[in-house]
Amino acid sequence: MRRLALAARIALAGLFLWAAGTKVPDMAAYAESVANYRIVPAVLVPTIAALLVGVESVAALALLVRPWARSAALLLALLLAVFTIGLTSALARGIDLACGCFGGSDQATWWTVLRDLVLLALALGVAASSPPSPARPARREPDPAAAP
Amino acid sequence: MTTLAQMVVLAAAGSALGLAANALSPHPAVLAQAILSPAEAGGGSCAAPSTAPAPAPWTPARIGVEEAKGLCTACLAGFVDARGAHEYAHGHIENAVHLPPAGHPDEAAVVAQLRTYSLVIVYDGDYSCAVADDVARRLRRAGLKDVRVLQGAWPAWVSARGPSQAGVCGVCNLEPFSR
Repeated sequence: MRRLALAARIALAGLFLWAAGTKVPDMAAYAESVANYRIVPAVLVPTIAALLVGVESVAALALLVRPWARSAALLLALLLAVFTIGLTSALARGIDLACGCFGGSDQATWWTVLRDLVLLALALGVAASSPPSPARPARREPDPAAAP
Repeated sequence: MTTLAQMVVLAAAGSALGLAANALSPHPAVLAQAILSPAEAGGGSCAAPSTAPAPAPWTPARIGVEEAKGLCTACLAGFVDARGAHEYAHGHIENAVHLPPAGHPDEAAVVAQLRTYSLVIVYDGDYSCAVADDVARRLRRAGLKDVRVLQGAWPAWVSARGPSQAGVCGVCNLEPFSR
């Protein structure tokens, strides 16, 4: 079970690092992909595009560090939920658009939504199998009775 | 640090990294510039014809006579003669069907036969290949995927001694069809 969880973490991390890596060489094109969803206000599109790429990279890297794996997986799950809602909304409105998922011009379809849902389930599975980060031990007040 | 706090830290670090990656990208997104989708900007495929540039007409690719001869001999391509009925009857590429640019009364049957080939080669009698281009576009619109035009047209085929025959079109209603 532990090995399976580790494999899922590595797979998710690799996938998101690859996804981010394909977008960085042409951030302008990725921003256009984000604009095509017609969800984000036009003025925020370039910034949101840049933030998405950065957050998915950092979350993917953190997924490989065990104490951070749970929060990274939850953050990726949150991103995937946002992507899925955005895709579903665009497809439901009949918008013919490229997914923008891996920097190319792959057409967004209901299969893309299904893929995102599978990845979302995987991310939630990783989060559930990763222990929460250890809480910092409470600072002990000095015992006046023990004082010399 | 709680999971939520870690998520906030990751999001903040990611945001900073994203902005840095954008700045270093060879094609960065201009942060100060609003980006509209083509549909919102009026450049989408649903835009009024006056605002959208007209798409260039599809130009069929050319195929050389020698390559076409090999395909004809091996029966690996369908040939379409786009000349007049009398020219066709006088002589045409072996097994070529006759499809003049004005159309054919039984065109669906002819196109259905051409669908059995992965490649269809159209030719006419003129070096400019203008008539063959028109017929090739029509076949493309009918759904044939790989349609090319014979470079040099019928005269080049005759000069290269490509296999040819005379007579009316066997699969096109058995009667010569005039333009």
